[in-house]
Amino acid sequence: MHRPVYLDHAATTPIDPRVAARMAQCLAADGEFGNPGSSSHDYGDAARAVVEEARAQVAAAVGAMACEVVWTSGATEANNLAIFGVAHYYRDYGRHIVTARTEHSAVLDPCRELERRGWRVTYLTPDRGGIIDPAQVAGALQADTVLVSIMHVNNEIGVIQDIAAMAAICARHPHTRLHVDAAQSVGKCGVDFGHLGVDLMTLSAHKVYGPKGVGVLLVSRRGVQLSALQFGGGQERTLRAGTVATHQVAGMGTAFALAAALPQSEGERVASLRERLWQGLAALGGVLRNGDVDRSVPQLLNVSFEDVEGESLLAAVRPHLAVSTGSACTSASQEPSYVLRALGRSERLCESSLRFGLGRGTCERDIDTAVAVLGHAVSHLRRVGGA
Amino acid sequence: MNYSALTRRYFDAAVNAGVLTGADIFRGAAGSRAQGTWVQFDVQVNSGIIRAARFLAFACPHTIAVSAWTAENAVGGPARAALPESVQALSERFAVPAPKLGRLLIVEDAWLATMQAAAAAIAGQHGTL
Repeated sequence: MHRPVYLDHAATTPIDPRVAARMAQCLAADGEFGNPGSSSHDYGDAARAVVEEARAQVAAAVGAMACEVVWTSGATEANNLAIFGVAHYYRDYGRHIVTARTEHSAVLDPCRELERRGWRVTYLTPDRGGIIDPAQVAGALQADTVLVSIMHVNNEIGVIQDIAAMAAICARHPHTRLHVDAAQSVGKCGVDFGHLGVDLMTLSAHKVYGPKGVGVLLVSRRGVQLSALQFGGGQERTLRAGTVATHQVAGMGTAFALAAALPQSEGERVASLRERLWQGLAALGGVLRNGDVDRSVPQLLNVSFEDVEGESLLAAVRPHLAVSTGSACTSASQEPSYVLRALGRSERLCESSLRFGLGRGTCERDIDTAVAVLGHAVSHLRRVGGA
Repeated sequence: MNYSALTRRYFDAAVNAGVLTGADIFRGAAGSRAQGTWVQFDVQVNSGIIRAARFLAFACPHTIAVSAWTAENAVGGPARAALPESVQALSERFAVPAPKLGRLLIVEDAWLATMQAAAAAIAGQHGTL
């Protein structure tokens, strides 16, 4: 059966076979299937050892300490725990939050919910390349700001924010915590939690060839406090009640260890493929690149096609290419990308934009197929549209 | 979004896309590129019969498919101020989702404008294109 070329690795990645094998070891009767919370027998001990090994693997991959890892069901839960947890715990210090208009909906929607509950939120607008100037963060901080939430790598355009500079600014405000959504970062660019100096960081497994349904909130040991959102067993230092899913976290640990071991040449290979893709698309004419090219991860390319209607473009390429118009989490809404709107793109150009997510399995032939398919589709639609 | 086989076929082929030139050609358009949907028809009318039809559409797949089908099925019929099928019938034929029915009205407006141009020219009030 013909399958379209998969260029949507920013939405999700296939599980690495080594990750799947490790997960399988935790499922059956002859593996570590026990409840990691059971301390009265060897089955529980064995499962707990797997969980702690995975915790150490994740921590090592991102420059954190194992004790800073809090397992969650994914990046969305981690973002919710960070935002609601900080807002609730520090509510007596202040009720002001700073974030950016280009954040993932898993950050923006919790912020909007807090607004409904009486908090004030400042939404920073990036420059036309998608970059937030750290000075904007400094300018937005108020005496009662308890949280700044800025993503590391943008999920639609791939730009990398200067988190270290923002952390230095927030550090001068004793009641302001910095949360960073780094769901798209691991395996794409360096992440060093300890060195960056942030308070909270969200991680995801399924963007890094790990399983869906598991993520992490890194909680710095440097005095960060959170209110829990769910209760029932005291797991994860009481921050996230519920039996830890041994196979899921084992998968995430293995996936992160594999990502950390990737040679630098893999990044260079993908960067070369992205450039090949961009050069091929640019040759079509009337194609605009979204996001600051010099400050983006090599795995993402976001472009807008002039004189092409967006839905028709996606429909024309769909039999051959798996790409998206933006975040997989919001594409069902069929609304133009709010990220591209924040960069100043017109509604028409936002609608005719495609996000290409390259991955470990992407090869030159995939790129050449994509260029050929897009070339035919754009030419066809421009002819039909009288452009 | 998923599309019916018929929509997919007319969208992919779009065999009547283009413009007509020469004598007895009449043109009408509706919608706006800036608003996301624009449709234009050209027809060649002789002795009150549509001899040829073409369309251009900056629009979604449903709108392109319906415009292509209209241009195809209008040929040989009378130059009258109505689509070959009603908007309702077209929406059912092409399984157009209810929120997109307004776009079919733009197809209808473009068709009506084309027929009005033809009628006006034939009546001697305006020249042909």
